[in-house]
Amino acid sequence: MAHVRRSRPAADTLGRRRALSVPITAGPLVRSLTERLGEDVEHLWTDEDTVEFQIDATRVIDVMTVLRDDPELAFFMLADAAGVDYGPTEHLEVVYHLYSWKHPAWLRVRARVNRADPRIASVTRLWEGAMFHEREMYDMMGIIFVGNRDLRRIYMSPDYRSFPQRKDFRLPDDAADSPAAGVNPLERPETWDLARFRDAPGVRTPALEAEDRATTAGELDGGGA
Amino acid sequence: MTTVDPDIRIPDPIELDAAEEARLRAAAGMMPSPAGPEYSGFEMVGIPDRPPQTEREREMYTLNEGEMLINLGPQHPSTHGVLRLVAKVRGEVIVDMDLVLGYLHRGIEKLSEYATYTAVLTYVDPMDYLSTMHNEHAPAIAFEKLYDIKAPPRAEYIRALVVELNRVFSHDLMMGFLALDMGGLTPILYSFIERDEVVELLSAISGQRMLFNFFRVGGVNWDVSDEFISRLSTWRSKVDKLIEMNEWMISENEIFTGRTKGLGVLSAERAISLGLTGPNLRASGVPFDVRKAHPYSIYHELEFDVITQQAGDSYARYMQRVAEIKQSIHLIDQIVDKMPHGPVQAQVPGIIRPKPGRRAYGAVESPRGLYSVYALSDGGPNPYRFRMRDPSFISLQAMPVMMPGLLLADTMAVISSLDPVMGGVDK
Amino acid sequence: MDLELLLGIGRFLLATTLLLLLTVPTAFVIIQMEMKIIAQLALRFGPNRIGYKGMFQSTIHGFKVLAKEDAVPDQADRGTFTLAPWMVYMAAAMSMLVIPFAPGAIAADFSIGIVYFFAVLGLSVVGLLVAGWASYNKYSLLGGLRSAAQMVSYEIPLTLSIVGAVVLAGTLSFSELIAWQRDHGWLLLWQPVGVVIFYIASLAEINRSPFDLVEADSELVAGPFTEYSGMRFGFFFFAEYVALFIMSSILISLFFGGWLAPWPFPAELGGFVGTVYGAFWFFLKTYIFVSIAVWLRGTLPRIRVDQLMGMAWKVLLPLALVNLFATAIAVVAFNL
Repeated sequence: MAHVRRSRPAADTLGRRRALSVPITAGPLVRSLTERLGEDVEHLWTDEDTVEFQIDATRVIDVMTVLRDDPELAFFMLADAAGVDYGPTEHLEVVYHLYSWKHPAWLRVRARVNRADPRIASVTRLWEGAMFHEREMYDMMGIIFVGNRDLRRIYMSPDYRSFPQRKDFRLPDDAADSPAAGVNPLERPETWDLARFRDAPGVRTPALEAEDRATTAGELDGGGA
Repeated sequence: MTTVDPDIRIPDPIELDAAEEARLRAAAGMMPSPAGPEYSGFEMVGIPDRPPQTEREREMYTLNEGEMLINLGPQHPSTHGVLRLVAKVRGEVIVDMDLVLGYLHRGIEKLSEYATYTAVLTYVDPMDYLSTMHNEHAPAIAFEKLYDIKAPPRAEYIRALVVELNRVFSHDLMMGFLALDMGGLTPILYSFIERDEVVELLSAISGQRMLFNFFRVGGVNWDVSDEFISRLSTWRSKVDKLIEMNEWMISENEIFTGRTKGLGVLSAERAISLGLTGPNLRASGVPFDVRKAHPYSIYHELEFDVITQQAGDSYARYMQRVAEIKQSIHLIDQIVDKMPHGPVQAQVPGIIRPKPGRRAYGAVESPRGLYSVYALSDGGPNPYRFRMRDPSFISLQAMPVMMPGLLLADTMAVISSLDPVMGGVDK
Repeated sequence: MDLELLLGIGRFLLATTLLLLLTVPTAFVIIQMEMKIIAQLALRFGPNRIGYKGMFQSTIHGFKVLAKEDAVPDQADRGTFTLAPWMVYMAAAMSMLVIPFAPGAIAADFSIGIVYFFAVLGLSVVGLLVAGWASYNKYSLLGGLRSAAQMVSYEIPLTLSIVGAVVLAGTLSFSELIAWQRDHGWLLLWQPVGVVIFYIASLAEINRSPFDLVEADSELVAGPFTEYSGMRFGFFFFAEYVALFIMSSILISLFFGGWLAPWPFPAELGGFVGTVYGAFWFFLKTYIFVSIAVWLRGTLPRIRVDQLMGMAWKVLLPLALVNLFATAIAVVAFNL
């Protein structure tokens, strides 16, 4: 059974304790969560207005279905779905924020995704509106949502090859070790010089690598100015 | 010199083994996928001139007899910015619709990872440029949670005052733009007159007319003077009449009602599923308002009811805005009455370094719906991850759901009633 | 050759030249009126820089389109693309031939002037359809198709609405119709329903707001005119305003007494003085109705295409037929 940890024990002693803008009681919610989801709930944690727990990425659909359809939980609204990259040596994470009439707190569900094979089940079957969230995460983080019918790039052009919001993608004018170092992004669209990005560390997905093997390296050389 | 491979494409990411997909679908209570081998013989006609990447794209861009694709945007007189709507039409009847975004994408989330917490509050300004105050409010809430401080009461009241003023002019512009998209030339100018009154007030308080840059972590930039309050009451004395004048031109107009009533209807369940929030969701009868559902700032001290409409059509979304303008003016009265004295800024160091591992979620009710921010700290002066959920980005998904079966001319009436702002959609 | 015939030809050429020349200042005046009136409605100043209170703004616009590049899309059908603006403009200009400006100032006083007028005015739909087709643009095509549907539909109630007046007056000539109105009072009093039908249908016929679906700037960018630039676009633009003038003048000639003053016209007033006096009333009344059309444009949103067609076939046409039968029965019964 997951343990409950209070968020800021030392805040009082610092004299900076922030009064609750919403006096909430997370107790009933925590009890129902552990009752209904049992082993799925890991690392339960409460904030002043948020209840948070982690789940196994393979169990996303099952957990979300319970959260949405169980009458005591009734988290009817997917408020947000965001991707987080914890760095090239760590993992990716998909963070869902849910809202329910029954409980005044935001519910945050975190699911770890393996960086080498970033796959997680899509929740578009539960909330149609998750479509754009997932397309954005695919576009920006390279997370692949299994079962999403329309997993295309949403902001970047369809032939774009890297995932800009991963931590190993540094802004061109910001770091010398970035794949795009020294390139003015306005003058040189990144897609013109694909080879640089294909060689970049860590921004690979198995799908891209599979294509790499199929394509000879020389064909994609952008060829300087 | 070598050339770029013309056949370059990202491999289909949704290839998965059948057993896994069947299990996932069963878990989600879904029918088997409609797309199967029978789709193999498709032929792409029109745009885009590359192979489709997903089932949905293949379905959208495969034309049957008598259908054609028509681009509304990215440069078009009435798409509220650089939105590109690809409509598949049969004559003038819309069969399907696809949204192409990204023409205004500036990567604000990524840029924010390179800026200090205070600087992030300036980055979010140009996102949804009609609700700039709300854009700053959610990050301010999130960063205050991260750093574990609280803005003084007077600052919270000033915040509530400016965001409600912002809501008034944002909804007011929506009224005008909706009429303009149906060919009514005059209401938009009345809207801009009203907007200018509010913007003058907000510039008196913040020094800027559009990108206010007014919020700070732990407070607001400037205090409001007594002179400002007297200007506010002058505005208050005439705003009802201005709103009434504009409403009188539109609300009862038979052509207007004929073109909005019964169009783009969304049921409550569908609206929730599509992630609609704010006035668009309340127009479908769901009384979800972040100000009530999860009160932030001082909204738990104010008296107001969540307004809803039942019809869920374009006209209901319009009437919802009109009602919310009046409600916001009512809230402004209460805020001014209750405003306490005191400082407007907590003691905060120049560069904020929240403890590592902290994460916070701040959500506000923007004029377009639930606008939220999820921020992570790694102990440094910049956010480790800064995520913004823009309501118009999500609510645009309703377009392909609402449009099939309607006429091309209805596109404008429906999209205007959703009131998307592309600055926010494309981040 | 017969001298009289030569004189007739010369007179005709002079009249048509004058009318063609008249179209340009007419368009300028109406465009200026539109800019100013809509500005007043929207609490703006409107143009106020060029000339006294900005009165030459539209003239400058006219010269501006002359200076613009004339671009033809690659895929456009060049011949018809070039022909279309001319067709639309000539349809408008030709119908000016029968307009009774003042006693003695009708370019061609046909005995079937009303039939001629509707025949010629209907030609402009061909121009719009051709423009939409030749542009090789989807917006243009949709606009052209809309114009065909709209104008053909509205010609029926438009024509039927005046048959009652024609039955009453027993003539198809504009000058005789005005003469009848001098003796019997304005046809407005005899045909109130006909006036309403005619006004609504005429706005739709010339694509004025709230029936400006053909242009529909927020849906179809500029409809059939999307790909036109320079003076070709100028022709469409001018034709639209000339058509507004013509429709208003036909409306007042048919129902509001034409050049007649609101009080009994002094029949002995002839010659040049009579012409000027008649022209004064003609232009005054015409521009009142032009202003009303401009006012409507500043006030009303645009109607949708299916509502437009529904209105033509389900409301205006039955109403016009009822009006016609009622008039015919009255004429027979009371021996009018």
